[in-house]
Amino acid sequence: MNFWDYLGSRHEQLLADAFQHASAVFQCMVIATLLGILIGVVTYRSEWAGNLATLTTSTILTVPSLALIGLLIPIVGLGVPPTVIALTLYGLLPIVRNSIVGLRGVDPALVDAAKGIGMSRTARLFKVELPLAWPPILTGIRVSTQMLMGIAAIAAYASGPGLGNEIFRGIGSLGSKNALNQVLAGTLGIVVLALLFDAAYVLIGRLTISRGIRV
Amino acid sequence: MTPPQEPPLSPHPTEPRRPDGEHEVKGHTFRDTGDGEPEATPVVSATREPRRLTWQKLTFLPVTLLVVLLITWLWFRNADLDSISKNALADGNVWVRLKQHIELTVISTFFVLLIAIPLGILLTRKRLRPAAPFAMALANIGQATPAIGLLALLVIWMGIGMKAALVGMVIYAVLPVLSNTIAGLKANDPTLLEAARGIGMSPMGVLGKVELPLAVPLILAGVRTALVLNVGTATLATFGGGGGLGDLISTGITTQRMPVLVLGSILTVALALLVDWLASLAEIMLRPRGLEVRS
Repeated sequence: MNFWDYLGSRHEQLLADAFQHASAVFQCMVIATLLGILIGVVTYRSEWAGNLATLTTSTILTVPSLALIGLLIPIVGLGVPPTVIALTLYGLLPIVRNSIVGLRGVDPALVDAAKGIGMSRTARLFKVELPLAWPPILTGIRVSTQMLMGIAAIAAYASGPGLGNEIFRGIGSLGSKNALNQVLAGTLGIVVLALLFDAAYVLIGRLTISRGIRV
Repeated sequence: MTPPQEPPLSPHPTEPRRPDGEHEVKGHTFRDTGDGEPEATPVVSATREPRRLTWQKLTFLPVTLLVVLLITWLWFRNADLDSISKNALADGNVWVRLKQHIELTVISTFFVLLIAIPLGILLTRKRLRPAAPFAMALANIGQATPAIGLLALLVIWMGIGMKAALVGMVIYAVLPVLSNTIAGLKANDPTLLEAARGIGMSPMGVLGKVELPLAVPLILAGVRTALVLNVGTATLATFGGGGGLGDLISTGITTQRMPVLVLGSILTVALALLVDWLASLAEIMLRPRGLEVRS
């Protein structure tokens, strides 16, 4: 059976896996984004808190994904919970770091001007600082998403959802005729998803980056 | 009027720095314009070289890891292991896997450096510079490939064993080091290179004595990334029969034996953090003195 025949005969299963993969990554990214920006906003003003947040999240990123999932299994069991927790944790670092860098990089004169025209602290944050820091944050989100695509594949080993199952099925049946097709379908599927997400982010960037700072 | 003291420059490049002539008083920003008296430049005390390493940095992580490993060992001695767990850990299996893991990491990192740094240098030379964007675009698509998929494909192609795992790890980690090398060489101040050429240095001299030393911090950051990535990817080697600590983790998951799983995971985490720590020390020690930011 060649690759195209394989895709043809299994497209339902593959599409379901691809959808689950994308939705797991997407949902975890939403959580990671909200959490990451929140951590950034809370910590960026103080030197040590910001550094602590960056250090903590980068330590998490240093931990190999299989090992983190392995440590989560005794606590939360197999399946979706370890996948979601691991993906969210790994997604945090680029977002936290870029929000802190972005927020600290906002020209203090602009914030001062906002203060001068009587904006409250919340208004300054939402109307001046976050819009100006948004491009680096969005870059962080892109980097995170690409990373999570690959980690989600590994999470399939802990009975997580997604295209990783296809890859592990292929590894499990090494030597059989379909092994290559399965691995190839899973791998290429993830590459395609990653590129689609990336394209979506470019579009989101166009739509959401404030017109005044668009390059 | 006594000019206010400039805040000390932070060693972190990400720190927002006020432009020249601007300073902050009680939370308000002022800017010196016109021809007032110039700000006093902070005098760098040349009496003592700033210490590169603080004792906290040297001791915190190793001590933490030791404590964690000690707790794990104590817990493990009291855990009741059934025959399956005992089998999985018999004959010094843990030690063998740990050694394999280190072997995989060291060998793959060696090859990554051997490939990525010369390639980065080549891609920033004048003649090959137009090829750099293509190489980067290709590498970016490669980055979107999941490590486990790449490894599985290589295993199917090259057969089960350490070799497939090593090739996969090298391919996977070349990109960050390559992009860091290119970024580091590109970020060099062109006027410095011009000056080096101006005093009659040969192209090799400029590269070896000016460009590379200036790019060392970024290249070292790339090396650190590669090491950390490789420790992580090495856990996946087990799926292609390549051994490593991933073996304990996958055995633990498939046989549902938590002690094996936890032991494998903790050892992997400890190894990854230790490698990252060692690389961070190397980063600090190998940075050229001239690039140090004095505070």
